[in-house]
Amino acid sequence: MSVIAVYNIKGGVGKTATSVNLSYLSACQGNRTLLCDMDSQGSATYYFRIRPAKKFNTRKLLKGGKHIDRNIRGTDYPGLDLLPADFSYRNIDIALDDLKKSRQRISKILKPLREEYDHIFLDCPPNVTLLSENIFHAADRILVPLIPTTLSHLALGQLLDFLKEIGQDRGKVLVFFSMVEKRKKMHGEMMRLLRDEPGVLPCGIPFLADVEKMGIYRQPVAAMLPNSAAAESYRVLWDAICGKLERP
Amino acid sequence: MQELQQDTRRLPESVEMGSLMDALADSFTVEIEGKRSSVAAWYDTFDWRLYNHGYLLRHGDRHWHLLDRGSGETLVTSRAGTGRKRVFARDLPAGRLRALLEPVLDVRALLLLVTLQSEETRIRVLNRDRKTTVFVEFSRQQVRGTDTVLRLVRLVPVRGYDKPLRAVRAFFDEHGITGQVPLFYDFEQGLRAVGRAPGDYSSRFAIRLDPDLTARQAAITIYRHLLDTMLANEEGILRDLDTEFLHDFRVAIRRTRAGLAQMKKVLPADITATMKEEFAYLGRITGPVRDLDVYLLKERDYRARLPELLQEGLGTFFTDLAEQRRVEQKKLVRALRSPRYRQIVTTWDEYLRSDDPTPSAQGDVPVIDLARRIIRRRFKRIMKDGRAIDDSSPDEHLHRLRIQGKKLRYSLEFFRSLFPEDEVGSVIRQLKRLQNNLGDFNDLSVQQEMLARYLRGLRPGSRRNMELAAAIGGLLTNLFHEQQRVRKRFARTFSRFGSRKNVALFRKLFY
Ligand SMILES: Nc1ncnc2c1ncn2[C@@H]1O[C@H](COP(=O)(O)OP(=O)(O)OP(=O)(O)O)[C@@H](O)[C@H]1O
Ligand SMILES: [Mg+2]
Repeated sequence: MSVIAVYNIKGGVGKTATSVNLSYLSACQGNRTLLCDMDSQGSATYYFRIRPAKKFNTRKLLKGGKHIDRNIRGTDYPGLDLLPADFSYRNIDIALDDLKKSRQRISKILKPLREEYDHIFLDCPPNVTLLSENIFHAADRILVPLIPTTLSHLALGQLLDFLKEIGQDRGKVLVFFSMVEKRKKMHGEMMRLLRDEPGVLPCGIPFLADVEKMGIYRQPVAAMLPNSAAAESYRVLWDAICGKLERP
Repeated sequence: MQELQQDTRRLPESVEMGSLMDALADSFTVEIEGKRSSVAAWYDTFDWRLYNHGYLLRHGDRHWHLLDRGSGETLVTSRAGTGRKRVFARDLPAGRLRALLEPVLDVRALLLLVTLQSEETRIRVLNRDRKTTVFVEFSRQQVRGTDTVLRLVRLVPVRGYDKPLRAVRAFFDEHGITGQVPLFYDFEQGLRAVGRAPGDYSSRFAIRLDPDLTARQAAITIYRHLLDTMLANEEGILRDLDTEFLHDFRVAIRRTRAGLAQMKKVLPADITATMKEEFAYLGRITGPVRDLDVYLLKERDYRARLPELLQEGLGTFFTDLAEQRRVEQKKLVRALRSPRYRQIVTTWDEYLRSDDPTPSAQGDVPVIDLARRIIRRRFKRIMKDGRAIDDSSPDEHLHRLRIQGKKLRYSLEFFRSLFPEDEVGSVIRQLKRLQNNLGDFNDLSVQQEMLARYLRGLRPGSRRNMELAAAIGGLLTNLFHEQQRVRKRFARTFSRFGSRKNVALFRKLFY
């Protein structure tokens, strides 16, 4: 059983695309899988054609238990469930701040779900917030999609510093390259530079139009186009992650 | 995940599947997926170990699926090649499936029970976002090798979409498709079509005797059950499916022989005498293969007893045994296909059905009296012989006591249904402990004798035989030490068996 948070301080790096495809692949292997959409924008929810119930909101999420159970939805794929995001999550930091043990709340509400599922994915919004701090506490693994550029590298440094600051194990972090463009010289150089760093997975997701089109057909690319290069690269990534999950 | 509620319905003969699908498509927004064929092959051991353990095992689509029989939940899915007719635990892919099944199967093989070939059409019921809210699976399943066809529709809910599910259910209700079938209906119907039923064989001796029976009627019931056990195991022996067919077959022979000896005057003297001889013959022809099986099954145990240095020699030993077994198995198959064997079995079968009017000395005694007398006599004998054994008694005395124990055990099992279950159960448990000790002791001496014989038969000279001899020597030493340890435990084990409480229980039940 593991909780895998897909996170990056920067936005638009492929976090949601990754969460959607990896959770799908996990379920395909027979793992009972839950994807929690933690981003008020609800992109992951949208990709699975799900709408949150009218009554679901931040308050319900933070109460946990049956309030969450009731709002989990089955996707179109056996073994894969989703906890939709609600627009009200945009103020979730304020709600968290009002609570006791405001940094462990997400960890607490995930506890019963850990029994029910083999893998739980958290699709996170960008930025460092109280929510993300919660997520770092709750996660067994923090999966970081990294576009191989200098700026992204700096952001990764920031993340690692922050984890250290809040006393979280940096060994939780797994980095992979995202939206890789072969033609860009800088991508190649950055990847060579980072390849041997601890926690960096030896695989990447190329920048591919098929991934972008997910917004149109509203399915994981691995389900819609199982024979595409995009699907294959997510499968390779998932295998590499599974290898790390077994041997911490 | 919440356990999804199972809703599978049988299509009445009058309903045409295609028009029903059309009607569904008219009432809902749907997406019809292409036809799919699949094959589901169900497996279990001959004695239903998986079923009795609450499991069902299905092979299909190059995967094993281990299911929970109660909830229907899939416990493990594991990649596999094509299914075969016989699969041992060691043939399963390494991983969780094998880890779960190995202790349940032990040495028994998984055998193909029944195969269902199915054609499925899956229809997804969609909402305005074209999100799937219910899966509707139509299937036509043919039980391979039979005329039986199942036509089913299964409604698979999607968590959080209850309203559309209710609507789809109502649709089927309105179309008169209301016949809900139980979980694993396909499995059950498939079995029935091929003439099997869960639990139709068990190697446990479990018969209920009516206390009003005469000794003769009871004896016939017992022999009938034992003969049926033998017949049930015949095919598995001939096809050499796993070692336990022969084992159960031999146990039934031994029980029959014990019955013939203990209930000597219950059937007419001539039939008792003939059958005693015939069953002794059956014991003889089935012995060699079983003896070899016993050693072959010990390979892992033997390997663990020897250091790395002697493993190679041991390998040669087991290759040798496997070859001998191949030869003996052939002889056994010939013997079981011979006219003499058929003759024995048919004669006995016909006799047991015959209602033979020939009087016998004790045929009309009430069974309960006979049971008490037999058990009492056996028990007395064990107590007397056992008490006479001390640390200096020859091994022979322990071997004799083991035989006595076995006889007592058989008679207790023959008649256990005539006595209060918990009390007989307790008596048998006590006896089992004693038997285990004596059985271990005996096994260890038989093994040493066999190894010594094997050693004497080796010709010196070759390197191979030298290594082999060294391995055998190592084993002999190891087994000898263990036997001494077992022997030391005898006194304590026996005194527990002969405890005042246990003796009192025997007296209460059988005196
Ligand atoms: N490998 C890829 N190749 C091409 N386009 C991609 C790839 N991965 C993601 N995209 C596209 O890039 C955009 C941003 O991706 P995504 O939403 O997955 O990123 P994100 O990190 O979750 O963004 P946010 O921080 O806004 O949540 C989307 O339009 C997505 O379709
Ligand atoms: Mg996102």
